[in-house]
Amino acid sequence: MASVEIMNAVKAYGDQQVLHSINIHVEDGEFVVLVGPSGCGKSTLLRMIAGLEDITDGEILIDGKVVNTKHPKDRDIAMVFQSYALYPHMTVEENMAFSLKMQKRDKEEQKQKVAESARILDLTKLLDRYPRQLSGGQRQRVAMGRAIVRDPKVFLFDEPLSNLDAKLRVQMRTEIRSLHQKLKTTVVYVTHDQVEAMTMADKIVVMHDGYIEQIGSPLNLYDQPANLFVAGFMGSPSMNLIKGRMDRSDPHQFVTQNGKVIRLPCPVDIDPGRELVIGIRPEHFEVSDEGTEFEVEVIEPTGSEIQVILNLGGEKATAAFRDRLPLEPGDKVRLGMSENGLHFFDSQSGNRLSPDLYMKEVSPEH
Amino acid sequence: MVRWQRGLWWFLLPSFGLLTVVLLWPLGYALYLSFFDYYLGSSDRTFIGLGNYVELFTEARLWQSFWTTIIIAFGSVGLQFVVGFALALGIYKLKFSARLFTMLLFLPHIVTPVVAALFIKWILVSNFGLLDATLLGLDITPPDWLGDPIWAKISVILADAWIFTPLIMMVLYAALQTLDQSLIGAAQIDGANAWQILRHIIIPALIPAIIFTVSVRLMDAFRFFDTIYVLTGGGPGTATETITMYTYQLGFRMLDIGKASALGVITLVVVAIILLTINKVLTRIYRRGD
Repeated sequence: MASVEIMNAVKAYGDQQVLHSINIHVEDGEFVVLVGPSGCGKSTLLRMIAGLEDITDGEILIDGKVVNTKHPKDRDIAMVFQSYALYPHMTVEENMAFSLKMQKRDKEEQKQKVAESARILDLTKLLDRYPRQLSGGQRQRVAMGRAIVRDPKVFLFDEPLSNLDAKLRVQMRTEIRSLHQKLKTTVVYVTHDQVEAMTMADKIVVMHDGYIEQIGSPLNLYDQPANLFVAGFMGSPSMNLIKGRMDRSDPHQFVTQNGKVIRLPCPVDIDPGRELVIGIRPEHFEVSDEGTEFEVEVIEPTGSEIQVILNLGGEKATAAFRDRLPLEPGDKVRLGMSENGLHFFDSQSGNRLSPDLYMKEVSPEH
Repeated sequence: MVRWQRGLWWFLLPSFGLLTVVLLWPLGYALYLSFFDYYLGSSDRTFIGLGNYVELFTEARLWQSFWTTIIIAFGSVGLQFVVGFALALGIYKLKFSARLFTMLLFLPHIVTPVVAALFIKWILVSNFGLLDATLLGLDITPPDWLGDPIWAKISVILADAWIFTPLIMMVLYAALQTLDQSLIGAAQIDGANAWQILRHIIIPALIPAIIFTVSVRLMDAFRFFDTIYVLTGGGPGTATETITMYTYQLGFRMLDIGKASALGVITLVVVAIILLTINKVLTRIYRRGD
């Protein structure tokens, strides 16, 4: 077990800089997920930790030691690849024993370690098979088995579940998580799937275009996204983001750029001249006679809830309700929102405004 | 099978017909002729059963041409394979200009073998060839590249390698490009060094391509004719006389069509056996898994 420290790490290919001064601290035993859309640099960063990519500038420390120039094999890490990267001409057992064989450990020890890992991952019956004879989920488990055989200080996962079907993905998510609880090894896990990030991580690092947008616990990111990108990226369906300004005369009203008024649950003190984006998560809408009138466009029942696509003067919004409301497309519905589900972002910078700055004391006349 | 699919075998007829005319018929006819004592131009054709075969197997010249073929074929294909593979790996590792290098390296293969052989002949020809002239200019007395029995074999091997190495390089380079990069990454993390990655990851992954190139090239090398014909004509003496050269001598110099046909049939059987063996061995060594 070990901590991972990334300090001002930069990656450039020629003139093109793909990672800009990245700083991340991964605690000993922590499960950290790097999440972001494709091309954000998360896999490159992971490969830099692994030693498969050079570090252009900055430092990466594993267990307190700078590893910038260390060969991958000397970093005491193990990596699970998206394609699993199982050696196709070797059996499961040979795949799992490969690293031990390269380290010239004796045969007995190899056998014993492989057997132990196989037992943990329930692979014992598959040891004689070749990768092509395994299902996707089994290959995934062999890839993890190959990683844990080495008993590394840090596990690196590069989108390990993307090639699995939806059901298996959920199942493997739990397996990886429970494996982490069992082994308590430090994990750095890359995914583009924010649900995966939310469900698995102790700490999430949201990346975009080679920059870190926000680092925090899953709920922290969900409840207090630092900016528009994080707000839009985390959560499914994603947060409704509507441009507009505060009404000049009524601090309870937000005026969209199409001139429609959104009724706020509390007075808000922000300069009406400032261009804003209001953010409301779908589940924070509630049916209320005092709310804003939306037109129902589409209804998508998921079983556990219904998602309603709404129209407000051309602006689209999504609301999610646990109750099975008797709504039809074309209906008008009045929706309010809870106070703590309200977010304001500066339209220019994209940054979220702290509620402390704009929440007024409720005055007697309101 | 669905009803409309039943008549589809008719579509095979044109290609089957073509194969019959250009391949099966000549092959059958050669097999037929191999049982006769028959000289080109003569009117009588005597059936002698396995006579031609018995005669061929009992003469030293056949065995000598057979060994010459083995030496030249395996020597040249082995050399081509090693150099071609090394070049393919080199280009694969190149971060830039790989395209330019492949193009330049491929040039020898674009030239027709006869023309390429003529180039080489003008380099190797004694005294006033490019190589000899250069060496003589430096006061070094060169060996007789094409006139000495051993050097002639070496020259023929080098010439064939020069022409066909690019082909092997291209096929293996193409195969390398399909290699899953994460396999190499995984092996690096697992602690394998460059040699171990080559041995445990890259070569096993290339086995299908290796089987293909080695088989095709060996098959070709056993029919090796044009380059030898131009360079040495099978000489000096019979030092570079391969089976095909000998067949040519039998059929078109001595006009002994019956015996030449028998030798053609023997060549076919020998090449088939060698290729099947090589395929089996290579497959067994590596392709246990995928």
